[in-house]
Amino acid sequence: MPERLLLTGNHAAAYGAMLARSEVISAYPITPQTMIVELLSELTASGRLDAKFITVESEHSAMAACVGASAAGARAYTATSGQGLALMHEMLHWAVGARLPIVLTNVSRAMAPGWSIWSDQSDILSQRDVGWMMLFAESVQEAQDFIIWMYRVAEQVFLPGMVGMDAFILSHTAEPLIVHDQEAVDEYLPGFQPLYDLDPEQPRAYGGLVNRDHYFELRYKVYENMERAGQLLIDAGEEFGEVLGHKYTPLEGFMLDDADYVLVSAGAMTSNVRQAVRDLREKGIKAGLLRVIAFRPFPVKQIRQKLGGRKKVAVLDRNMSAGHSGIFAEEIRSALLGRPDAPPVYGYVVGIGGRDVRVETAHEVMNDLLVRDEPEMSLFVGVKGLPIGPLRSDYEIRPLEPLEVMR
Amino acid sequence: MSGLDHVDNYPEIPVSLAATSTVLKTGAWRSVRPVIRIRTAPCSAYCPAGISIPEYFDHLKEEKLDEAHSVFMERNPFPRITGRVCPHLCEQGCNLAVATDEKPLSIRSIERWLGDQTADLPHPYPTEETGKQVAVVGAGPAGMAAAYYLRRSGHKVTVFDRRESAGGILRYGIPEYRLPTAVVENEIEKLEDMGVEFRMRLALGTDLKLEDLEAAYAAVFVATGATGQRSTGIEGESLLEPGLAFLEAANRNLASLPGERCAVIGGGNTAMDVARMLQRMGAKVTVLYRRTLAEMPAIEEEYERALEDGVDFNWLTQPRKVTKLGDKLLVTVEQMRLGTPDESGRRRPEPTGITRELRFDGVFSATGEKADTAPFPDRLRDSHGWLDLDGDGATKDPLVYAGGDLATGPATVIEAVVAGRNAARAIDAELGYADRWPAEPPADTVSPAEVNVTYMPHHDRAEDPPAVTADPFAEETNTLTAADVLGEIDRCLSCGYCNTCGTCFVFCPDGAILWDNGPRIDHEFCKGCGICVNECPGHAMVLVNEREVSHA
Amino acid sequence: MRWVVPEAEHMAEGTLGCQGCGGALSMRLVLKELGQDAVAVLPACCWSIIDGPWPVHALDIPVLHTAFETAAVVATGVKAAKTIQGKDTTVVAWAGDGGTFDIGLQALSGAAERNEDILFICYDNEAYMNTGIQRSSSTPTGTWTTTTPDQRPEARPKKDIMGIIAAHRIPYAATATAAYPEDLEHKVRTAVSIKGGMRFLHLLSVCPPGWKMEADQAIEVMRRAVRSKVFPLYEIRNGREYTITHWPDDLPIEDYFSLQGRFKPLLGNDEMLELVRENVEERWQTLLARHERSHSGAPA
Repeated sequence: MPERLLLTGNHAAAYGAMLARSEVISAYPITPQTMIVELLSELTASGRLDAKFITVESEHSAMAACVGASAAGARAYTATSGQGLALMHEMLHWAVGARLPIVLTNVSRAMAPGWSIWSDQSDILSQRDVGWMMLFAESVQEAQDFIIWMYRVAEQVFLPGMVGMDAFILSHTAEPLIVHDQEAVDEYLPGFQPLYDLDPEQPRAYGGLVNRDHYFELRYKVYENMERAGQLLIDAGEEFGEVLGHKYTPLEGFMLDDADYVLVSAGAMTSNVRQAVRDLREKGIKAGLLRVIAFRPFPVKQIRQKLGGRKKVAVLDRNMSAGHSGIFAEEIRSALLGRPDAPPVYGYVVGIGGRDVRVETAHEVMNDLLVRDEPEMSLFVGVKGLPIGPLRSDYEIRPLEPLEVMR
Repeated sequence: MSGLDHVDNYPEIPVSLAATSTVLKTGAWRSVRPVIRIRTAPCSAYCPAGISIPEYFDHLKEEKLDEAHSVFMERNPFPRITGRVCPHLCEQGCNLAVATDEKPLSIRSIERWLGDQTADLPHPYPTEETGKQVAVVGAGPAGMAAAYYLRRSGHKVTVFDRRESAGGILRYGIPEYRLPTAVVENEIEKLEDMGVEFRMRLALGTDLKLEDLEAAYAAVFVATGATGQRSTGIEGESLLEPGLAFLEAANRNLASLPGERCAVIGGGNTAMDVARMLQRMGAKVTVLYRRTLAEMPAIEEEYERALEDGVDFNWLTQPRKVTKLGDKLLVTVEQMRLGTPDESGRRRPEPTGITRELRFDGVFSATGEKADTAPFPDRLRDSHGWLDLDGDGATKDPLVYAGGDLATGPATVIEAVVAGRNAARAIDAELGYADRWPAEPPADTVSPAEVNVTYMPHHDRAEDPPAVTADPFAEETNTLTAADVLGEIDRCLSCGYCNTCGTCFVFCPDGAILWDNGPRIDHEFCKGCGICVNECPGHAMVLVNEREVSHA
Repeated sequence: MRWVVPEAEHMAEGTLGCQGCGGALSMRLVLKELGQDAVAVLPACCWSIIDGPWPVHALDIPVLHTAFETAAVVATGVKAAKTIQGKDTTVVAWAGDGGTFDIGLQALSGAAERNEDILFICYDNEAYMNTGIQRSSSTPTGTWTTTTPDQRPEARPKKDIMGIIAAHRIPYAATATAAYPEDLEHKVRTAVSIKGGMRFLHLLSVCPPGWKMEADQAIEVMRRAVRSKVFPLYEIRNGREYTITHWPDDLPIEDYFSLQGRFKPLLGNDEMLELVRENVEERWQTLLARHERSHSGAPA
């Protein structure tokens, strides 16, 4: 029987890894992910989860251990955040080239310096191009369920996947959680059937030197499988509903059908955006919400379908690709580019470094959207001393006046 | 790889599909190639018979006694004999002793063990008779060797000898404690068993005429030895007892001591035998030698044993005159000193004019014997009265050969054996049977600079242990045990001969030396690094330039 | 064959090792004793090349290629999977000196400290040879490399990796070299037989091109390293019990250095050579004292 508990996002992720019957878990503590590691340590130590837990000495090693374990045919899981994910970067690539369906939870936090442990999507979006599937959770339930959903798809395309969860807002917030019945999860997610498992009876080399004659074809297969994963996510999300009671989709609309003005958001801040949309509807503004759940593979067709013909689209990015724009905005623009019914896309950069994204913030964005003509690449919301608007073009670097050193 | 012309034929990941050896023919990288090459070991080169010593050692190591024996027999049919009395020049050449502080391999002792182990192994009866008859005159080591090889080739061989029993110097000249008669008799029996006929008490010149033999036999080999007494130049020479005659009498148990104090004049191996025999019969013996130990021709080991027996040596002592004084002999000796080297390279003894007198009960001369060429017609002799022979012992008469001490003057047993074998081979060649003989070993000898002594185990050299016996005439040493022999062979570098030690195989970084009871170089993959050649203990491998190979 | 070295080959011919490659030979010899139920993890190193370009491969056991710094931990991951699958496979991390002393040290230390059930083998050719001879922390004093040119040869002594490993108190660590194959095989056998904890083998592995020497001297040079005490052969059990397994003779260190062009700067600098001599002697005396203490019956 499913169990209903009140748990934080971190603990839910640990339960997700447990329900998925991860066999090798290797992780390194980092705030705000630490509780995942702690709970999994407990679950493995108590025998509730029959897995090897490796307390490695770095995130790079955490991913490397997962690579080793997965290559040897075990279901491998890890969790990290911010700096840790950045440190893993090389091995994230490795997992893709080696075609290892590892799943990781990333509790998104801002990148140092200055040191910041607060919510920010920059860490995970910096890994946009490594070839991992990416899902953005909004709730504690999703923090758990997306791990299971991700394994289901990952092990069909032999590509790894990560589940993003916002620092503190989700990781440390307790919500009711349905812990699924293990048998039902087992039905949904059968045991890992690896392509290869380092069997000494088959003494092969894996991932050795590949020259120019062959590398392109091998990478082409990665691209093709990522493309395939788009439909598999939809199918597996559907099936999740049939077996485990909640259907998941790569995109999720709210009051979208007749909306003229669409707010696009991902992750936990979406809850506040959703509230703002309700408020706006009450005021008679035909607002709607599109939540991006799957970022890789990016649901291009569905985006076109959901956003085509709208009057204006505002994308809320808790991240920024310096020199260009918020990354979600960038992706959505490119998905719509050249479509005859493409709406203008306004990029809003919000909540960097854990600055609150409140319901009011969404209202400010909508107020700006309604009056702004030019669909600017990036419009900054809440920078002290500045109104909502694009980056200044007249800014000059100047040395700071010396301050008296405080003793 | 076939099929990799379409993306659909690729695996999901770069997982290997085949072994490197299927496509990477790294032998193409090579500019020099290692080649296993049989070369000559210095022991073999030093051995007058050229016995392939590392080769038969290898067979012994592999416990293939028959193979070892047959390799040995190609060059010397009497390992039991030479294994006891050979001066083992082979050991002087041993690269191990030259390249390190180690003692040389105890080659003669191993040879003796091989001989004893195969004492009961009959000589193979010739597979194909030639119908030719060959006469051998003289049943000493040269005649016996010639008889063996000639019989082996399929000829009917008759050996004539003036004495009542065959063996010559082996039976009558070498003391029992060094070479038991039983050993000699065993060899003669084996020759008889293979079909050699011995006819005794027939002396050349009296009972036999060379011309008759030439007429009756397809070929004749004469090896009647050197037993004639040579003048010592000492005044009163007739008072001296000839050493060789004494030894023969002693071997026949007919010798008696002239008294307690005896002198032996000379410094060769016969002098040692006479001195030691006298000492064993109870005499107190003094050797009088005109030079010093360094110039003495006797092999060192015999000198040492003489010392152990209690023999005294007076160096730089030249007897000048012997007179009888009652029942004693008075020997006047002159003190000598060493001067400039003579033609033999040894420093010449020069008189000092200082003399003294020594008193003995008996004095024996052992200053060398001479060959008796009287039975030969003048046409076969040179101006000095020696036989006029070519290298194989051919005389001026067709198919008449001579060898051994008869041809060379007193020499070693092994040299006599070689002379017998050489003559047999030459006779065979003339009779049209050259194909029954193996090729000669290559001239290319492995030098001490080439060997690699790293892998040689360090343990004491095994030598024939002294026999524990109260009988002074019983054989004085025992044969090694099999374990000692194998241990000793383990020290052998096996110069120029692959004894399948495996060093090349172990150290090849490319696995390009395949092992099938021995190494085989896989030139398809060998990169030519040269490690195998450098590490081979006996340097039985060489690097050859690829260009030479491709031009060859 | 006189050698107590297994005849069976587990490395195919046609590998891409250079002529006289110590790394290839070390692998070939190690495989002879490793057993067939084994997996090798290869970080970036010469062996990434030696094993051959896709789609070929040289070893008789599976090889998982991985990133430079990850040998120990990827091996850990593989072992974890094998364990959970109920298999007793020996998992070997096979790394060069860069992947051990330098970039791989963190993961190595982590695995050693956790006493992971893996066998870590470092084939040490004392510089980054695969990239074309750049210094590593394993490069000894006075060595020429392309990043320590003649005008400024390596100034610092080689990192004491065995000391570092010993400090982790793992069950078994040993030095070995292909020049002493039976000693090497014995240590591989020992390492494989000790289950349940970390084992470490440090193999001096000649690189003729990088050491600037004739390929046919490859074995001789490693032998001289041992004989001159530059690279003593020993075992460490539990980080405390030292056993010298081959006693060097007093070969002068110059006889080791002079075979190699890379030591030209050292041989031309008396002061530096003296320093090296003292260093070699001091390390030897320390080792000797530890050996004697370990075998005296007194507590280690």
